[in-house]
Amino acid sequence: MMSITFHQAVFYFFSAIIVIFSILTVTSKRILRAATFLLFVLLGTAAFYFILNYAFMGALQITLYAGGIVVLIIFSILLTSHVGERFEPIGWGKMIASALVSLIGAGFTLYVLLNADFIPTQAPLPDASVKNIGTALLSYERNGFVLPFEVVSLLLLAAIVGAIVIARKEPHDTENPNNE
Amino acid sequence: MTSGLLITFFITAIVLVAAGILAAWLLAPSSFNKQKSQPYECGIPTKGTSWMQFNVGYYLFALLFLIFDVETVFLFPWAVVMKTIGMTAFVEILIFFVIIVLGLAYAWKKQALKWQ
Repeated sequence: MMSITFHQAVFYFFSAIIVIFSILTVTSKRILRAATFLLFVLLGTAAFYFILNYAFMGALQITLYAGGIVVLIIFSILLTSHVGERFEPIGWGKMIASALVSLIGAGFTLYVLLNADFIPTQAPLPDASVKNIGTALLSYERNGFVLPFEVVSLLLLAAIVGAIVIARKEPHDTENPNNE
Repeated sequence: MTSGLLITFFITAIVLVAAGILAAWLLAPSSFNKQKSQPYECGIPTKGTSWMQFNVGYYLFALLFLIFDVETVFLFPWAVVMKTIGMTAFVEILIFFVIIVLGLAYAWKKQALKWQ
């Protein structure tokens, strides 16, 4: 018991959270609850990034996945008319088949992981601090990423225009659009 | 040792909170009333579930929120190094913003921000 370091304890704590909420996500009978459980899974993943000292990725995970994607998923669920319905119970055949498939998948992953030779590298770890990322992102010299940075804004512009074109219905009365 | 100190800290925190909840649970008089499980103690009785179908109009706002959320993520590293890099960083973010604001202007022009 005392051989476990604090770091390991934190790791197992968040692993347990991720495993428990992942299982709850797929077993929940109500779709909105499943989405809420998914939020905790994503937050647990963010905790891993913080444990690895990758604060930028952790912040990204919380803002985008926990804050944005889950909101979008919940909105999509709330837009459907079957919000409050419970899923039908799954038959035994399907349950056994899916359990078999996931067990084979888990077994294969474990087999590969346990047989892999992980060679510890001697090279220094890349500095993934927010400051370093910012410097690289705004640098226009060699190995700088200013062009991708600006292209991202174009991508976001395309996303805005696309979202508006698809999600918004045109007013039928074109002469008086306020009349809709 | 730091980790030992941290573990002690966490255990103390958990024990303190648990003791508070346990004491409240033991000491408080308990009574059951159907009214207690309602969202509001007074007012109009609630009808149906709170999980209802939303207006599709919200979805566009969610999408726009997500896009500007992505934009915010790129502001974090920029804000950290803005002072050290100086004018160059400012010009770069200005170009970034002008392109994004074009999207906002388009949304405005198309009256996508208007509730309907």
